Amino acid sequence: MKIGVFVCHCGSNIGGTVDAARVAEASREFPDVVFTSDTMYACSEPGQDGIIQAIKDNQLDGVVVSSCTPRMHEPTFRRTVERAGLNRFMFEMANIREHVSWIGKDKEANTNKAIELTGIAVEKLRRDQPLFAKQFDINKRVLVIGGGVAGIQAALDCADGDREVVLVERESTIGGKMAKLDKTFPTVDCSSCILGPKMVDVAQHPKIQLYAMAEVEEIGGYVGNYEVKIRRKAPYVNWDLCTGCGLCMEKCPSKKSTDRFNEQVGSTTAINIPFPQAIPKKAVIDPKFCIKLTKGKCGICAKICPTKAIVFDQREEIISESVGAIVAATGYDLFDISKYGEYGGGRLPDVITGLQYERLLSASGPTGGHVKRPSDGKEPKTIVFVQCVGSRDKSVDRPYCSGFCCMYTAKQAILTKDHIPDSSSYVFYMDIRSPGKMYDEFTRRAMEEYGTQYVRGRVSMIYPQGDKLMVRGADTLMGTQVEVEADLVVLAAGAEAAVGAPQLAEKLRISYDKYGFFMESHPKLRPVETNTAGVYLAGSCQGPKDIPASVAQGSAAAAKVLALFAKDKLENDPMISLVDMKRCVGCGKCVRVCPFGAIKEIDVRGEPKAEVIETVCQGCGLCTATCPQGAIQLSHFTDNQILAEVNALCQL
Amino acid sequence: MPALAGKELRIVGFLCNWCSYGGADTAGVGRFSQPTDLRIIRVPCSGRINPLFVAKTLLSGADGVLVSGCHPRDCHYAEGNFYARRRLEVFKRFLPTMGIDPDRFEYTWVSASEGQRWQKVVTTFTEQIHKLGPAPRFGFAHEQNPATAAAC
Amino acid sequence: MTILTQLKEQITAQLPKLDMVIGWEQGYDALHATPLFMRAAEDVERLQIGPLSVHNTATYLTGLRNKKVGLVVKGCDSRAVVQLQQEGLIDRENVVVFGFPCDGVADLTKVRRLIGDVGRVEEVETTPTELRLRVDGREEQVAMSDVMADKCRRCQYPNALVHDHFAGKPREPHATSDDYTDVQEFESQSLETRFEHWKSEMSRCIRCYACRNACPMCVCRDHCIAQSRDPHWVTQDDMVREKWMFQVIHAMHLAGRCVECGECQRACPVDIPILALKRKMNKEIKEVFNYDAGVDPQAIPPLLSFQVEEENINERGW
Repeated sequence: MKIGVFVCHCGSNIGGTVDAARVAEASREFPDVVFTSDTMYACSEPGQDGIIQAIKDNQLDGVVVSSCTPRMHEPTFRRTVERAGLNRFMFEMANIREHVSWIGKDKEANTNKAIELTGIAVEKLRRDQPLFAKQFDINKRVLVIGGGVAGIQAALDCADGDREVVLVERESTIGGKMAKLDKTFPTVDCSSCILGPKMVDVAQHPKIQLYAMAEVEEIGGYVGNYEVKIRRKAPYVNWDLCTGCGLCMEKCPSKKSTDRFNEQVGSTTAINIPFPQAIPKKAVIDPKFCIKLTKGKCGICAKICPTKAIVFDQREEIISESVGAIVAATGYDLFDISKYGEYGGGRLPDVITGLQYERLLSASGPTGGHVKRPSDGKEPKTIVFVQCVGSRDKSVDRPYCSGFCCMYTAKQAILTKDHIPDSSSYVFYMDIRSPGKMYDEFTRRAMEEYGTQYVRGRVSMIYPQGDKLMVRGADTLMGTQVEVEADLVVLAAGAEAAVGAPQLAEKLRISYDKYGFFMESHPKLRPVETNTAGVYLAGSCQGPKDIPASVAQGSAAAAKVLALFAKDKLENDPMISLVDMKRCVGCGKCVRVCPFGAIKEIDVRGEPKAEVIETVCQGCGLCTATCPQGAIQLSHFTDNQILAEVNALCQL
Repeated sequence: MPALAGKELRIVGFLCNWCSYGGADTAGVGRFSQPTDLRIIRVPCSGRINPLFVAKTLLSGADGVLVSGCHPRDCHYAEGNFYARRRLEVFKRFLPTMGIDPDRFEYTWVSASEGQRWQKVVTTFTEQIHKLGPAPRFGFAHEQNPATAAAC
Repeated sequence: MTILTQLKEQITAQLPKLDMVIGWEQGYDALHATPLFMRAAEDVERLQIGPLSVHNTATYLTGLRNKKVGLVVKGCDSRAVVQLQQEGLIDRENVVVFGFPCDGVADLTKVRRLIGDVGRVEEVETTPTELRLRVDGREEQVAMSDVMADKCRRCQYPNALVHDHFAGKPREPHATSDDYTDVQEFESQSLETRFEHWKSEMSRCIRCYACRNACPMCVCRDHCIAQSRDPHWVTQDDMVREKWMFQVIHAMHLAGRCVECGECQRACPVDIPILALKRKMNKEIKEVFNYDAGVDPQAIPPLLSFQVEEENINERGW
């Protein structure tokens, strides 16, 4: 075998703390290495051309590039060696940047380490085999999980791309958080007026199958061929019959039900349609509050329903769907404001969240768009907004910025002035973060045109005094204490990962960070992909995002799905397990442990043997570690390859 | 390939590609400085790590072996680390009878986002191995014959 | 009717339906038994059972997969049958198990240590408490309590755990639990002592693989990774490290599978105490998974399954 080793300086990224030239020179001593060079940027066009030229000039059979992490540029260099006529698997990378040059300053130790890492890459390459992908069929339907604005956008774009979409929404209506907003920044246009038509499009699109009040129960399979089980909760109403006329709501005697859509500002009826523009516009019975379901009598709704749609003994059901790709768009939930005991959230009725305030501002909200404070229904004249409640605060384990609160607070201050012209608003803030198109101008308007008083500082406590709330805080610009006598306090509660997000991530086999937000494949270059092929992200499930960013990501995820579906066949990753029939004793241990059901038992001349289903195998290698006689070997990570790496490091 | 005599000990890491290798990358991107002893071997999944690789590495003269995978429940391949956890635990418990200090082998879970955690794991483990010093050897490890090396 | 007579009757009755029945007969001298493959009625006459029936008859099973095989088993042999059945390596319907209550077998290494290397033993008379050996016309007596195999002293399963026929009445177990004091004693020595112990013991290994060949759970047979180039786990270099690596492989491959029949150590021609490794492994398997191999044919071996929350594996706070 003839191996070429290319050591990258990566400018000064590697060259600064690793003597790349010496690594190249030392690599000449490794077995089978016939050519080495050091190059400034191996991934650049001249760098790649240099590799191709060297392969041709020296008739190389394999290439080692010592540079950055293979998680970054392995695909790049695989294509490079392929362009030079080699099989793309006759290539190995040594990670001498992330694992060497960036984590230590001792040039001698680093150089030595880089030489050794190059050495193990050479040893692995010497045992590499050319691998060839297999093609398999693809199911061109997509599952979108979450019917907020990001999920809606992804679903509509995929459907407009002529692909069938299965949209699953946990609540009884799509719309998500955006449906609860009154107006949107920085244009102050009506939220439901811009979202409503999109929701109707979802309902009417022939390519979209919507399951509301449903959650993903189980996901099996792999890219191109996912099998999904969806648990559809019981609304106790036959939605095929329900016309959404709302007669039942008018007559329902149980009027103390939790009003989830209105963020529990007030209560609602046990049978309920969350809001007039709901999609699907269908009634749902809350079994916790329904008199018939809790006490056995009542049933007024059933009597009054013109289409006889009420079904008190309805059960939840499990639906199976086959799809080829999945978009997760599960959004966010709000930080629990009661964790700040000193602010009285959850304890003082007139300390509310920003989203609750949206419902008070909304014409379709519980107060019909008249701002009335929850405790006594009086119109507040002095309103204090507190920013960063559950954002940028290590003490509550929320060190990150929720991103959109500065903007919606400015919007709410403006709207407050519109609703109550003789009111005055105060905003306690840490920094104003408004880096969007027309965003900073918008916050300026809140201050300059609408006279909102911005106080830079944290609020230390909020306590009731008479029917007022005393808000005590610091003004760090003035260096003084401030006390404001408020009628209503609105806390800009931070965004958190949606309830159940980590559990969904586990089902999707994608990573999530310690706060429950899903991990993208690369923070800059692959922002909507995940490390699981065929699973994409849209909206706030990946991290807090405002509406434009969520919509953009929804479209981006849809573009990724459509690109995937543009192919008629998918190619598998050929780094899969293969069985050496001679060595297999048919014990079936590999069959038992395989997480994908990718190994089956076959009969070979009367003897049981294992066989890998090549398009199902995902290449984890659990079988290889399980087989006692090593009869099943994971290509590209064979026992001998790993043993050779160990030997290269240890038999010194 | 001489180990840096007196300065470094031989520490080998087996890391799963999706979480811990990514976590080590994240640590690199964040420039979280670490001791230089560790040599990382990348494998797709902690489930790929046969404890016998650890045995082979220790018997071949490594002073310490570190295995790291995705956190339980967070395996890219759904279940690999659950099996790895059982196998590696049993192997770690087996080491005392072999006459090898069980502290020479650790297994842990580091996700791709946990760069700082990776820095801590590497630093702590390297310190632990330096405290134990060089591992006992079997002696007469004769010069490696290039002919047999080519065949293996 | 003695147990042996009853057993012979049971075997003779079943033999026509079977390709063979495996038991024990006298070997090259009266002290050494050897496995007996009974194919015809007259073969049954040569069957002997007792303290000299040391071999694990189940070892042959996987090689006879497509045959109808009868097996005379001690308790420990029957655990190997259970384990093989659990792993799907034998078809239980092809195996007819003849059980009997086992009073324990003699460790011939212990016998030799007591009476020396005496050469050919002409006759052995066994009583419940003694072995009486006639060598060169003189008689040597050894107490069973002095020569019983260690595995029998702590045996909790003296009667076949699975059987289709049973001769005699099941006996009380020799022990009710295993406290692994041997493992603890070994580990109470310093690390250096333990390391040097194996270094010195393994330096005597002649790589004959008798330990492997006698092991009923070593089912890889011709494909054992100790002797393959692909994968190449162990080199053919004459080095302690390579020999030792093989023993570690054997122990790991037996984790959660070893029934402690002790055949590996019994078969070792240079008496390397390798059962200690399997004992240690079994101790840990018991502690972590509360699992005994070869007891329940329906159980799932612990290393081929998992629990999302492991009860006895504590993340070490790394």
